[in-house]
Amino acid sequence: MDRLTEEKIQRFEEFVDRRLKPDLVRAIAERDKVFEQQKVFSDLRKNLENLEKNSVTSLRSMVNLGSEVYVQADVPDTRHIFVDVGLGFHVELTWSEALKIIPTREEKLARQIEEYTRLIAQIKAQIKMVSLGIRELLQLPAE
Amino acid sequence: MGEPPKGTVTSLSSIYSPEDSQKASVRVQETISERQKEVQQLQTFLNDNTNLVNLVKKLPDQLHHDIMANHPHLDSFLISLTLISVPFGKAAFFPGKIIHTNEFLVLLGEGYYADRTSKQTIEILKRRGKDLESQIENLNAVIKDLKYEASFFIETATEAAEGVVEIREDYVDEFLDEEKEAPTEEEYSRILSRIDELEKEEMESEMAEEDEEKEEEEEEEKDKAELSDVLSRTHLEPKVISSEKHMGNEHLKSKESSNIKAPTSSATSNTLSRPIEQKKSEILPQRIVSKNEVSNSGSNMRNDSSQAFTGSIVERTHNTEKSQTSQPIAPPSKPVSRFKMQRK
Repeated sequence: MDRLTEEKIQRFEEFVDRRLKPDLVRAIAERDKVFEQQKVFSDLRKNLENLEKNSVTSLRSMVNLGSEVYVQADVPDTRHIFVDVGLGFHVELTWSEALKIIPTREEKLARQIEEYTRLIAQIKAQIKMVSLGIRELLQLPAE
Repeated sequence: MGEPPKGTVTSLSSIYSPEDSQKASVRVQETISERQKEVQQLQTFLNDNTNLVNLVKKLPDQLHHDIMANHPHLDSFLISLTLISVPFGKAAFFPGKIIHTNEFLVLLGEGYYADRTSKQTIEILKRRGKDLESQIENLNAVIKDLKYEASFFIETATEAAEGVVEIREDYVDEFLDEEKEAPTEEEYSRILSRIDELEKEEMESEMAEEDEEKEEEEEEEKDKAELSDVLSRTHLEPKVISSEKHMGNEHLKSKESSNIKAPTSSATSNTLSRPIEQKKSEILPQRIVSKNEVSNSGSNMRNDSSQAFTGSIVERTHNTEKSQTSQPIAPPSKPVSRFKMQRK
């Protein structure tokens, strides 16, 4: 094998190891984050629906002060809830308003997940292609 | 000394290549930074813990709290609402207030919780804080060790690069198993003076032997008496080495003073001394006592094991009594000379 091919193969491998694989890892981590958010909102929706169903007007809860030390908290009025809308802003909403907003939020998150999935697939395809190229340069038979 | 070289010389760079040492030091540095991160994390835990202690201390001051100015876990923007947020999932909360301010539910671990008052909670938190502190201390000690390690690697790398060599020489001593403890300096000096005594006597006995073998007995008795007198008065004797004394004896009996020399303990002189000693021992079998160990411990340390036999140092029988009185000089574990046993 001449040196030119060898160099080429090395460059390809470096591209896979240093560019594509870290990209893939990052994309997967991002997608996991979005998954988590989606779960948070779906939980919130379910809980709100539960409250509505049982028509709860006051609530007793435990607040985590940190280091797993809990203290009792009382919610005298459950008609209003503050929902995180991003960038640290919480909007005071009634239940019905919240139940309208949350699905749109979920939809958006689902779209983000889809995007990330596509990106991940793309990176995977690129990795596959480059490794096929390397295989060709090495003149190995395709699988 | 005319001996073949016993040691091996290896250049440090052949054992530890500078590149490898550098790599090792880099790796140690990496672990150091990892540990430092851990320490930082623990430190933040500790800070949280102290904040929490303060909070828990203050909470029972009022029956209920709706102001949360001192609540560290809520967005500062919410303080203006003057209502505590009761989290409802991660993305939402209700306005509310803390009630039962002297009741805390504390996680003990493994999913077990305990109902505690403020004071009890503070105690628990303080214990946690102490644990964290000790962990930080431990980590700091580890970091210190690692730093020493790193500096050692760097040193080795530079030394290897400078071409420092390692000289290794095996120390062989066939009597080593007998004398486990090395004699102290004081013992050395005493042993040396003892050797000198013995050698002087030996020299005189030889002279006597050559002059009149039959009268030898009495003569030596006399010499002995004189000598022991002298010895008892002065403990510092001129240092004589047996072989050189023998050579001197053969050549110039009259010039005794020239025989007196400092014990350089050369290997060649030791080998020379052996046949003479043996001859002498045939002539005076019953009176010769070797103080082999004594001489060994003195001179053998520096000699090759093959040439280490320093010859027997001859001693009269009546002198042994004296030597025994001074025996505690030598290490107590020492048995009586093997050579002595053989000759008797």
